Amino acid sequence: MQGTPLRRGSMAGSGGALPALTLVGLFFVVPVVALLLRSVTDPEPGLQNYAALFGSGTYVRVFLNTFLVAAVVTAVTIVVAFPVAWMLAIMPPALGSIVFGIIILSMWTNLLTRTYAWMVLLQRTGVINRTLMGLGIIHEPLPLINNLAGVTIGMVYIMLPFMILPLIGALRAIDPMTLRAAALCGASPFQAFGRILLPLSLPGIAAGGLMVFVMSLGYFVTPALLGGTSNMMLAEMIAQTVQSLLNWGLGSAAAFVLLIVTMALYALQLRMVGARRLAGGL
Amino acid sequence: MKLILVGVLAGLLAATAAKADEMVFTSWGGTTQEAQTKSWAEPFTASSGIKVLQDGPTDYGKLKAMVDAKNVTWDVVDVEMDFAIKAAKDGLLEPIDFAAVPKGGLDPRFSNEHAVGSFYYSFVLAWNKGAVSGEPTSWADMFDTKKFPGKRTFYKWSAPGVIEIALLADGVPADKLYPLDLDRAFKKLDTIKSDIVWWGGGAESQQLIASGEAAFGQLWNGRVFALEKDGADVGVSWNQNLTAADVLVVPKGAKNKDGAMKFLAAATSPTGQAKFAEASGYAPINTKAKAEMPADVVKGLPDAHVDGQINLDMNYWAEHRDEIATRWYAWQTK
Repeated sequence: MQGTPLRRGSMAGSGGALPALTLVGLFFVVPVVALLLRSVTDPEPGLQNYAALFGSGTYVRVFLNTFLVAAVVTAVTIVVAFPVAWMLAIMPPALGSIVFGIIILSMWTNLLTRTYAWMVLLQRTGVINRTLMGLGIIHEPLPLINNLAGVTIGMVYIMLPFMILPLIGALRAIDPMTLRAAALCGASPFQAFGRILLPLSLPGIAAGGLMVFVMSLGYFVTPALLGGTSNMMLAEMIAQTVQSLLNWGLGSAAAFVLLIVTMALYALQLRMVGARRLAGGL
Repeated sequence: MKLILVGVLAGLLAATAAKADEMVFTSWGGTTQEAQTKSWAEPFTASSGIKVLQDGPTDYGKLKAMVDAKNVTWDVVDVEMDFAIKAAKDGLLEPIDFAAVPKGGLDPRFSNEHAVGSFYYSFVLAWNKGAVSGEPTSWADMFDTKKFPGKRTFYKWSAPGVIEIALLADGVPADKLYPLDLDRAFKKLDTIKSDIVWWGGGAESQQLIASGEAAFGQLWNGRVFALEKDGADVGVSWNQNLTAADVLVVPKGAKNKDGAMKFLAAATSPTGQAKFAEASGYAPINTKAKAEMPADVVKGLPDAHVDGQINLDMNYWAEHRDEIATRWYAWQTK
């Protein structure tokens, strides 16, 4: 991949991209600029919204919590997705596409429906707790909902396809002979994984991890329904600020800070992994 | 920036310019809005020829954005009373034209210059009979986890209700609730914080109680009424029931103001109010409505339970909304 002669960054022949650029400008750039302006003009010009934001213990706590949840979700998603992606990468293609179709199918189911399904499974009177209690394994219901555990389970489920997809790409690109060579040289399966498979699949992990992390930062429905108030995430807090307190200025400021932090993370990752490898992993 | 917004919105909405024979009513969806459509909108259209388009759910942020952008697509909106008082102060509402809306039977508690009552309701203590042994009889019982173990559910958002409940449970007399002692309320709430499951909407509160996921809760009386109608095994205590109201308002710059005022007249009429109360279990805001209602319906309404009833102070809340909300979310997210 590193030796690809094609210059992806080349601007040659970009004249035909004008309609696409207009679309991006109208629907992505304009709203972001409007958001920024609102945060420094509403209710009056100045930085008072940002002062209020960083001066508020609540917002700072919700910010930190948002990043904690996104990090936990990303880590768990990587661990769960890796074996699945590996299995799909080495499966016969015909069988692989069926299994992959099953995974993709979940993405086509309504998000709210899936979240409600998890509520039915996870709640104190839910399927999982009733079954475990019926079998006598536990006597008190496990706290699986309205807390970090609930949010993590619900969000990992939703994020899995976004992690599996880039991972398959990265894993398929690995020459199987390298693993055989490692075995021939006396490497244990564990060593082969840690020294060969894992490093070579890093671009895929990085690409998927970034996507999952960034998507998680802005999640609303799942944390609202499966989380508790002590792990409230930023999107819910912003909705509350705008809808109930009518404070568009503060809400915009919070949204803008989240956007900046997200972009900074993205830039950092580009620098660490390299844009081309990232794109290749996708 | 506002110019851009106005421009974009104007362009998008040019096709939906208001007509004189059409208006938009916005409410909270679910069983409440269904009852409003059946009891108010449909008879109103039949008698006036004005078509009522339904929209929702009510969103205060959206309402403000519409008024700010001077492109108001809602003509009548069902809002909570404390919001209406605040919104009127902020200049977001049209004054009510009492030449078009008869003031006669309107309960003065729920009407003012910029709002007429929609319905009024009580927060009551409800519980799942299968999950609770014994009968809780006061808000103090919701804070007694020894006598009444199990999860309890409260309204999630910063709004009149939970703070008052905590203070009542802590022994504050009903006539000494205001000004609210927030420190004392949060200290009391701390004692059961890990036993609280929050509900964000009416349907969620019903689901929590009906499934036994929460053993008890602070519920809107109309939602308990609907659970009972569905045959759920729920108990209800009206002791210390807390009244609050929804009101109907007309956003500033509404396109069909005349139609909106006519609609308000129909919605607040004795007949409109009687029909809605019968369908929803919420109380009428027109004092003449009861004469038109069956006796068994009247028995189940909040105003049949005035013993120990406490009126939540909407004016106090309108004035301290932001300050309480800041404390509320700081405590809740801790």
